[in-house]
Amino acid sequence: MAIKRFFTVIYFFIFSSFAFTQIVYEFENSLQEKRFYSLISEIRCPKCTSGSIASSDAPVSRDLKNKVYQLILEGSTDDEIKQYVSERFGTFSDYRPSLSGPNYFLWFGPFIFLAILLLIFFSKRRI
Amino acid sequence: MNQSLRFLIIIIPILILIFFTRVLLVDEDAQLATFEAKNFPTFELDDLNGRPVQSESLGGIKLINVWASWCITCLVEHPFLTKLSENNLDIIGLNYKDSDTRANAWLQKHGNPYLFSIYDPRGDLAFDLGVTGAPESYLLINNKVVGHIQGEMNQIKWENIFLPLIQKAQQR
Repeated sequence: MAIKRFFTVIYFFIFSSFAFTQIVYEFENSLQEKRFYSLISEIRCPKCTSGSIASSDAPVSRDLKNKVYQLILEGSTDDEIKQYVSERFGTFSDYRPSLSGPNYFLWFGPFIFLAILLLIFFSKRRI
Repeated sequence: MNQSLRFLIIIIPILILIFFTRVLLVDEDAQLATFEAKNFPTFELDDLNGRPVQSESLGGIKLINVWASWCITCLVEHPFLTKLSENNLDIIGLNYKDSDTRANAWLQKHGNPYLFSIYDPRGDLAFDLGVTGAPESYLLINNKVVGHIQGEMNQIKWENIFLPLIQKAQQR
């Protein structure tokens, strides 16, 4: 009898954690689901030093995930959703910086730097 | 050729050094001040006394402070906010994901530096404002959000971030 009670307690310890797992998102089709998971990995968690909202369980990340989910079901495009988030949380929220304005330097700066170095290297060889 | 190369070898590391010291030595608090001004989001919410909040009440210079009764750091910044309100600054609370009974009890216990507090139990207005948690503060000048501070508000942040913004607005 005591053993039975012991296992009942163990059983509750093991399975109680499942009651606290994340919300399950249900989609109309697999494309929506795919878009959801790629979007939440491209939106930066505003409360974390470096991490996407997919990897974060901060309350604001949960709100953001719910909002992305809701917007996908409402038929918003990926760009519209990113725009929606960055209007509220700043361009900082975009994990992959867009190709515009000063970000050109961010994307192509290293290549320009490499080109300069190679130029110096080869001009040095000629001497 | 040899001379220009020598010149480059010296000048490039110096430029890199200057570039990185400038980037790395920027004060983080000051960086938050580079905030893109935007209009205050539209909303339909009541205050903590159940009266609908009029958007006209957000004109002029207002400090919007996001707080909640469950928020520990809000208690830390509370004396400073009280001091600001005693110096005739208009502070409007944004009660964030809280219950009105608990929020009102909190104000009763610790004092109320706010003109009124917008009651936002689901955090909808807060989401549109870009709130990431509590406490956070926004500076509002003529219905435009011009500044944002995350975390505790204190003398240093007030003097370095919000006060210059107010002075700039008043000079115009």
